[in-house]
Amino acid sequence: MRRIATVLFLPLMLAFGSGVYLYLGTLKSKAVKERVQLPTVTKPSFTLPGTMFLAQGGRLFKLKNGSFTEIGPSGNWSMPTLTPDHTRLIAVLTGKQSSDLYLLDLDGHIIKRLTHDDARIIDANHWAFYPRVTPDGSSVMYSYDSPKSGFRVDFAIWTMPLNGIQSQARRRTDPYWYTGGDINPTPLPGTATIYVKHSIDQTGVHSQLWYQERSGAIGHAMTALADDCGAPALSPDRPQIAMICSAGKQNAKLEVAPLIGTTLGPARVLLSGGLYASPAWSPDGKALAYFAPTGAAGHFQLWYLALPDLAPSASASASATPSAGATPSVRASPSPAPTPPVPIQVTQGVDLSATSPPAWF
Amino acid sequence: MAGQGPARRRRASRVHPVRLAILTVVCLLLSGLAGAAAYFFPVVVAGVGQTGQTVVVPPNSSAGRASPTPSAPPGGPFTVLLLGSDDDSKFNSDHVLTQSMILVRVEPATKHVTMLSIPRDLWVPLSTGGSAKIDAAYSYGGAAAAIATVERNFNVHIDEYAWIGLKGLIRMIDELGGVDVIVTNPVLDDFYPDDIDVTYLYGYKRVAILPGPQHLDGSHALQYVRSRHDDIQGDFGRSQRQQQVLLALKSKAATLNAANLPDIVNALKGEFKTSMGLDRVRSLLGVASTFDIANVRQIVLLPPTYTSYGQISGQSVILPHWAQILPVVKANFP
Repeated sequence: MRRIATVLFLPLMLAFGSGVYLYLGTLKSKAVKERVQLPTVTKPSFTLPGTMFLAQGGRLFKLKNGSFTEIGPSGNWSMPTLTPDHTRLIAVLTGKQSSDLYLLDLDGHIIKRLTHDDARIIDANHWAFYPRVTPDGSSVMYSYDSPKSGFRVDFAIWTMPLNGIQSQARRRTDPYWYTGGDINPTPLPGTATIYVKHSIDQTGVHSQLWYQERSGAIGHAMTALADDCGAPALSPDRPQIAMICSAGKQNAKLEVAPLIGTTLGPARVLLSGGLYASPAWSPDGKALAYFAPTGAAGHFQLWYLALPDLAPSASASASATPSAGATPSVRASPSPAPTPPVPIQVTQGVDLSATSPPAWF
Repeated sequence: MAGQGPARRRRASRVHPVRLAILTVVCLLLSGLAGAAAYFFPVVVAGVGQTGQTVVVPPNSSAGRASPTPSAPPGGPFTVLLLGSDDDSKFNSDHVLTQSMILVRVEPATKHVTMLSIPRDLWVPLSTGGSAKIDAAYSYGGAAAAIATVERNFNVHIDEYAWIGLKGLIRMIDELGGVDVIVTNPVLDDFYPDDIDVTYLYGYKRVAILPGPQHLDGSHALQYVRSRHDDIQGDFGRSQRQQQVLLALKSKAATLNAANLPDIVNALKGEFKTSMGLDRVRSLLGVASTFDIANVRQIVLLPPTYTSYGQISGQSVILPHWAQILPVVKANFP
């Protein structure tokens, strides 16, 4: 009897010991290693108006009517952007040592390869990122790491005919060396563009929104050096710029400022103290989407922010005078929005590419 | 009489219920302890093999100590020398260059942390003799030489050290689920060392880390903290990025608990060594959760104030301006 009890008791002890082992495993902080899901297996908690294209882990997704669809062939895709007639996309396909721009239809089928940046010799490869089509649909602006020499690799803004070939591409800007260069072109009607310029001083590398009237022009800063602003997004209806400013810190502000002539009016801080990335305007210009992480896991989710009235104040307009050179004249003191807008988290459990701005129409 | 025999046998074979209950509880406790011991076994092994490393600092270091016994009382402020190394498979075992050297002062009472990055090309007298770039100290005499060299030149007392290899950093960040950082500018490098998980260790590859807030996995975080060729600040820019990722790791560590330790220890297997005992490692994790990043002071010995560029024996080196450096060190690492 005792032997039988012992035989029965041993598995019980084994089971209990294993149970303790497994239980300890369940006490691990889940926040740090959250399981990431594909957007297509998730259900957004909020239905965005219109259609949005975004990227996660090298895959392109279309978000329409509250559900995700994966588009495009396999590969490391990012940075989808729309042509002005909203019939085609341009996206970046990143390889091992280079990246190229591709023209796609809205279902992700390749229409045309726009650039050929891969080469057998490692340092003969090139990067092409941040494509944006000009408002007239004739050209695409993008960041391209040429010319480069030795250790110096910096992006400049380039432009090429959308229906042309890469040999027709021309460099628009002259970046500061060893800073990473010029990125995020945002073409304006006509010949002008806004982009992000990186420069360096004693305190480190800074980013500024920069206005350039035409290709080759020096242009001028639109934001202060110390504000460290980037990721500009131009509103579709009236000239407003959404941007992310970090002031050299490890938390950011989501700001909106009116575009007045060639300068920015006083910026309104919509959100502060978080890791806000890649804002995009809603088709009606009354809301913003952006990426921000949730919880300790740090995976970036899509957020929606309906905006308060963003009309520039009379005093702001009066003080907005165009300026030349590197000193911005207007955007001196961002003022908080009168009514704090409340962000809505659209996705959960995904890990969207925060450096890949979404396209939304 | 005939019926008494079996009854006695039954009584003899029956265990008293209280005794049975006690026996059951003891057995379950033992099996539970065995389960817990199995769970924390990797931590215990690491505790023996990787923590509490004893190094003998040469007696002619500034502190004049014969051994690197921590002087900081439990719960008091202490200074740790963090060492990060190139892929050690390029070198003989434990004779690696320390590509990253960061002095960290932790003051638990005031919840302040100070980090000072030491440029790897800083030209200094080594504790092992002669002068060289400071990153060579470890390769000549391991952690003891690195500690002694820093102590002697910076006139600072080091209580503890921690060393991590490249793969260890990748695995640790991946184990923590990545880090969140705001990248200030494009980090582009056409000559980034392609020496992780490859057979030929001297190749190069192209790297592009784009700016903005983002979530970096281990390999991309390593690229971010290791790249330096297109940074006009060179190693200084890299030092700032290293401190940035260190703070991001601190934020992640704040969410950990003891149950996470075995996974982290497994991730760091063979790629991490420290003089700290498990007690201090555990208390550091606790401390990490209470620090505010606003209370972290970051110091990089930027030229022209603290350092200048120079050439010695055909090598590009960083020359220290001790008259400017030492007061800063004294003020922040008393």
